[in-house]
Formats: sequence, C-alpha cells, structure tokens
Amino acid sequence: MVGDPIVEVTGLRKRFGDVEAVRGIDFRVEVGETYGLLGPNGAGKTTTISIVAGLLRRDAGEVKVAGMPMDIDTAAPRALIGLVPQELAVYPDLTGRENLRFFGKLYGLSGASLRRRVEEVLEVIGLRDRADDRVDEYSGGMKRRLNIGIGLLHEPKLLILDEPTVGVDPQSRNAILESVEALSASGRGVLYTTHYMEEAERLCDRVGIIDEGRLVAEGTRRELIRLVGERDRVRLQGSGNLSGAADALGRLDGVGDVVAADRSLEVVTVDAARLLPELLAVATEAGMAVTQVEVSQPDLESVFLHLTGKALRD
Amino acid sequence: MTKAFTIAAVGVLRLFRDRSNIFFVFVLPLALVFLIGSVFGGGFTPTIGVSAPDGELAREVVSRLEETDGIGVRSYTARDELVRAVERGDVQAGVILPVDFDEALEGDGTVAVEFLARPDAAGPQLRTAVAAAIAEESALVRAARFGERRGLTEAFDVARRLQGEVSGVEVVTRAVGEALFPSSLGRFDLGASQQLVLFMFLTGLAGASALIETRQLGVIRRMMSTPTGVGTILLGEVLGRYGVVLVQGVYIVAFSLFAFGVDWGDPLGAVAILVVFGAVSTAFAVLMGATFRNAQQAGGLGVILGLGVAALGGSMVPLEIFSPTMRRVAHLTPHAWAYDAFAELVRRDGSLSDILGELGVLAAYALVAGTLAVWRLRVVTTWE
Repeated sequence: MVGDPIVEVTGLRKRFGDVEAVRGIDFRVEVGETYGLLGPNGAGKTTTISIVAGLLRRDAGEVKVAGMPMDIDTAAPRALIGLVPQELAVYPDLTGRENLRFFGKLYGLSGASLRRRVEEVLEVIGLRDRADDRVDEYSGGMKRRLNIGIGLLHEPKLLILDEPTVGVDPQSRNAILESVEALSASGRGVLYTTHYMEEAERLCDRVGIIDEGRLVAEGTRRELIRLVGERDRVRLQGSGNLSGAADALGRLDGVGDVVAADRSLEVVTVDAARLLPELLAVATEAGMAVTQVEVSQPDLESVFLHLTGKALRD
Repeated sequence: MTKAFTIAAVGVLRLFRDRSNIFFVFVLPLALVFLIGSVFGGGFTPTIGVSAPDGELAREVVSRLEETDGIGVRSYTARDELVRAVERGDVQAGVILPVDFDEALEGDGTVAVEFLARPDAAGPQLRTAVAAAIAEESALVRAARFGERRGLTEAFDVARRLQGEVSGVEVVTRAVGEALFPSSLGRFDLGASQQLVLFMFLTGLAGASALIETRQLGVIRRMMSTPTGVGTILLGEVLGRYGVVLVQGVYIVAFSLFAFGVDWGDPLGAVAILVVFGAVSTAFAVLMGATFRNAQQAGGLGVILGLGVAALGGSMVPLEIFSPTMRRVAHLTPHAWAYDAFAELVRRDGSLSDILGELGVLAAYALVAGTLAVWRLRVVTTWE
C-alpha cells in the first residue's frame, strides 16, 4: 500500500499581513503512512494543515489529495479527509451521539449506514456507555476522543490530526496515541502535527521538521539523526580484559569510536539496535565480562536543536 | 439543501435545549401581551357586584344596571362576600342595597345605597352608571310619592305605567376630534403586534450569541472540512435562526388569536409581515454574529439594541403618541414599518395590497443587512 501519495504539497506559501506563516513547504504523505509535522508553537503547522484540509486559501503552491487539487471551494477531496482540529470542535450542549450523527450527515452518511458508523465509532473511541450524555458532562479526555471520533465517521483515506493531545492528562494522552497507532495500522494515511518529540517518534513513519514556516528537514527518525551527524552510544560496563575488548570493538564495521573508562567502554555507532548483539559477542570473546549495557540514542529533540538552534518548546 | 436543514435543525435543537429560552421565546411575549392588554388595553367590560334584598324596587334597580351598556352585573347574596370580591378584583365595583330598601321607599323614608370600588380608573365610571340607575329609580319613587300626596291611589303603578309610555331624555355621546385609536380596537390588539415585533427582533439578536459560540468552538471550520459547501453551511446557520424567529412569530399570532381574541387583520398580510420581519431579524442577528468576537459582548449589546430600537420604533409606546419629528426618526427602524403595516391591517381593515410599501421597506432592510451578514460570515469563517 505504501507508495501512492494521498497528499502532495508543493511550494506552499501563506501570509497573514506582514507575517509569512508558511514559506514554501513541500511534502507528501503516502497511503498507509503516518507523517508527522514536528515544530514549536507558531511554526506554521496548523496553517499548513488548514490549507491541506481546504479551510484556508493559500497564496502560492499546490495541494493535491489523492491526485485531486484541493482548494477552499472544492468539495470532492474533502470526502477523503477526516480532520481532527486542535480545538474541541463539538457542540457541548448536544450528546456525543448527537454530535456524531450531525457530522455524519455532513459527511454524507444517512439511514442505516449512519447508524452503523455512529455505533462503530462510539465503540472505537470507548464512549458507547456515555453516548447519550451531554458533551459538557464529559472529561477532557472523553471530549478529545469524541473530537477524534468525528474525523473517523466516514472512514477517510487521510486522517489529519492537529495536536490532538494538547491539554490532555497523561492517561488520556496514552489512550489517544494508542488509537492513532491503531488507525495507522488500519492502512489509512495520517498527517499528524505535534510539538511533542516523543509523539512524533512513537507514531510517525516519517517526520517533517518545521520551523518559522519552513520545512527544515524531513525523513525517518534515523535519517534525520544521521543527517545531523548524531550517533548512538552504547556503554558496556563490566570486568576482565577491557582494553582487548576495546581494540576488538574498534575494528567492527559501523563502530566509530571506542572510549575506555574505569570499568566501562563507550562505543559510538550509527545503529546501536542493529549492532548490539555483535558488540556483546565481540566484547565477551575478547575477555570482557559484561555486567551492564546502556544504550543512548539521539532523539528528535537533539535533531531539532541542531537544525534550528533552539529547543522544541521555545 | 438537506445538509442546510441538518445544520438549521441543530441550531433550533440547541436553542431549546436551554430551558430558559423556552420561557423567553414562548412564555414571556404572551405574558406581556396579556399584561399590557389588561392594564392599558381598551374594550374591557367592567363588572359590578350587586347585593340586593328580594323586593320589587330593588329588583328594578338591578335590572336597570343590567340594561346599562358597557357594564356587567354579578349578584352576591351576602354583603361580606361582595366586599371580598371587590377587594380581590373579581368585580371592579360593588353596590349594596339595604335589606329594607323596598319598605323604606314605599314608606316615606330615605335609603342609603352603599357603593364600593377599587382605586382604579374604572371606579368613577362605574359610580356614574350606578348613580344614573339609582336616579332613574328615585325619579319613579318621587313621582309616586307626589301622586300619593295628591290623593292618587295606586300611585306606584301609575308612575310605572307613565314611565313606560313617556319617552325619557335621550343622551347621545359623540366623539369630538380625531380618535387616537378606533373604538373597535380590542384590548390586546395594539400590544400584541408591538410585542410580536419586539420579541421577534430580540430573539433574532439572541441568535447572534449562538452563532459566535459556534464559530468560537471551531464547529463551523469543522463543517467546512466536510464535503459541504460554504454556501450550504451559511444557509443552514441562517435558516436555523430564521426558523426560530418564524416559529416564535407564528406561535405568538396563533396563541394570542385563540386565547385573547387578538385581531391580526388580513391573514395573508399578517403572514407576509411575519415572513419579511423574520428575515429582517435574522439578517441583523447573523450580521452581529459575524461581526462580534465575543458572545457576551453580542448578548449584552443585542438586548440593549433590541430594546432600544423597539422603543424607538413604536413597540413600547404607540407611534401615534410620538411628535412628528420623532415619528420620522422612528421610521429609521424596521419596527416602525412593521408597526405601520399591522396598523393598516388591524385598525383600517387593510389587506396585503395595502401594506406592500411597508413590506418593501422591510424587505430592503433584510436584503441590505442580509447581504452584509453573509459577506461578513463568509469572511470570518474562511479566514479566521
């Protein structure tokens, strides 16, 4: 399934008065892929997805959804998109079921198919027991789940989630992330914006790092880390022939450097996860009794810092 | 179009989910129609309670009162019961004839007739009616006594016979100058049309807050992410507000017609005013809802504007009372044109064709405000 773009964005630009919010962004999301736009508040994430969802007129560039041009007044591609906005865009004085039925009708569902989808979505978001309660009686996490559920009603090919975990307690946040993981696994494309590095790392197949309206880098987590020259570090603690082990490890392909310290070795490598079994085997064979292993991998936070010179939460 | 009705239906559902809105939309307008009609309205028939003994002369007094135009008579057996009825306002006045009424008059004595009244405008009028009836009866008694002094036997019978044969003095009441309102105007008629216009506009403006809330929640933006055109969304939002205003208008007209007997004039004309004035209210509501950012701000200003324009436009005090200058100023408001249209239908028996001018002005209000409103709503929903 991966390989066909569900979204193609080229040369996107958007200005609000004197502020150029989006300055020429290009990216594509493949079918079945979860693509993350990672950047701090005000980086241009919401503006970008608003244009992708056809809510905002662009100044320049092109957006295609499943090959169809998307604009503010085009209807057809919208049927393929499920938008989950950052704000809780639901009626608080209606029940969860009434909200779902209302938006289901706007997505073109009716009759038996509407009833079936409403029940299925209530099951997916875990609100079946509270479906007939007013939304203003829901907890924050339940409201967020309903907010996501509305975007799923018409079984879209592309789900756009704009910072869906903002202001959510850790337990609800985890539940939301699990839901998104399940949705990705179901084969639909997901465009996910966040300023939480951990969410991008956990959910996204590829990440676009966005700052001040520009896409400064794009790729898988590993590609991004490699791009900025960051390496994994494996710390082997133990006893025995540490210097012999250091020499043997230093000769391995993929190992950059080995630094010996008191009762431990620090191995710098490009891919700790892949090399770890071999590192352990070689160190043991060289006479080192390994008692503890510690792997530290650079994260997207450090990539962002390297690329922009500032932290994600600046 | 189905989607527009879906959006409109949710707007109506949300409005009535708040129970207090049921009071403001349906109960309060009719309560005010009733209150204003009761206090200020014409066409009211006051009732006099009478406590009279069983005697021929006493019965004649009661009959005279019953024959008096413009008052009703209710009998009470006990004096205390009548006093309580006056105190409670069940009757507007009371007349108490003493138990020896007939004996005293057939003899040579005098009787004191007790008159009770509430301290309102009806009291003096009723006192005049009672005094006239008593005077008529006392004229008969005086004539009979005169006959008896002249040795005429059966003097009462002769006096009664003569009273029947000799025509009395005819009193003719004639209005001088131009009447402010025709005498045929029912007690609720004027207030009903004023309250109808006032509340349709107020309810419309209250919809502005709901529209702002829908925008603030991001629900309109979310609707736009569905395969639903911007025009359909705007139409749905407008229809929802219009539906509420129109339902309220039809309800006030229908209920007041059947419960209070309000005369709304030519039905076609009345429906036309409802439809066009409802559009005016909706247009102003959507314009406010698309202009203000804050629901509280719009709600507060909506009430001030709604009441202020209503006062200026003749929905609180009749336009006929305004000075010519103020009347011209009043016609800057749509309310004054609706007032004129209803005046034509109700007071001058006009028909739809007689109010086309007023309807045209109201339609122009709706068109101008509606165009601005839709333009503004489109701007804020697509650029926010």
